[in-house]
Amino acid sequence: MEAKADDKLVIQKKEAFGRGVSVIILLLALTLGEFWIGSVASAWNVVGTILIAIAVIKTFLVVRDYMHIGRLFSDGEEEA
Amino acid sequence: MTTHTSTVMDYQKKVSINRLGLWLFLVSDAFVFGGLLVARFYLLGGGSRPEVNQLVGLIVTLVLLASSFFMNRAETAAAYGDRKTFLNSTLITMLLGIIFLVGVVGVEWQIAPFGPGDGIVGSLFYTMTGFHAFHVLTGVIFLFIVYRNGRKDLYSSERHWPVEACAVYWHFVDVVWMFFYPALYLIGVAVL
Repeated sequence: MEAKADDKLVIQKKEAFGRGVSVIILLLALTLGEFWIGSVASAWNVVGTILIAIAVIKTFLVVRDYMHIGRLFSDGEEEA
Repeated sequence: MTTHTSTVMDYQKKVSINRLGLWLFLVSDAFVFGGLLVARFYLLGGGSRPEVNQLVGLIVTLVLLASSFFMNRAETAAAYGDRKTFLNSTLITMLLGIIFLVGVVGVEWQIAPFGPGDGIVGSLFYTMTGFHAFHVLTGVIFLFIVYRNGRKDLYSSERHWPVEACAVYWHFVDVVWMFFYPALYLIGVAVL
């Protein structure tokens, strides 16, 4: 029984670490895309809006997956 | 056993109140950063930006993103009682934070072809990066305290609120940079 609980914990931990890796890969890809857009074009209307939109997407990912905003709306302490 | 359960529940109740307090603080801090961002676009418009080194900007941004990854790793490890990973990841986060500070204050500030007193561009650039760097510095101090307490074995998988608070604060500083980076380094044409 205890061994089963331990196995479950190991799986949960692996999943939590895996989520962190997926988010950083997305963040890095978006940042490199941002750099590419910013260095090849400098016209305000389109580029500025696209870059701010990318910043908003990156913020969403960090606030949801790294800052765990969902915990604010739960009573107890969730797992990471 | 019952006493232990009720103590853990009391702790979790306290944590949820602390969590709300921390987020309220971050929202109020976000207004200051938001004000700086609005000032940048109001005064410089979308067509111009400070003449800064875009490659240095990209490198420090990647360093800060990597630090957020390790901070998340540290928090996750603390939550699962993996002390070794928690300590190592906290230390790496701290080092990356210091590298970011060196990149902005020690490199970018030194090579920028303008000073803080050189008109609107200089004022904006140094105020925005300086205010943000100060937050990174306080984050590094916070990380050091958490690392030191972690070495003393003061945290467990059930009780690690300081680690979570440090992580949320660190990610907030990263989120601010996500907007400052395009605003200062990418949007518009470089002007002195």
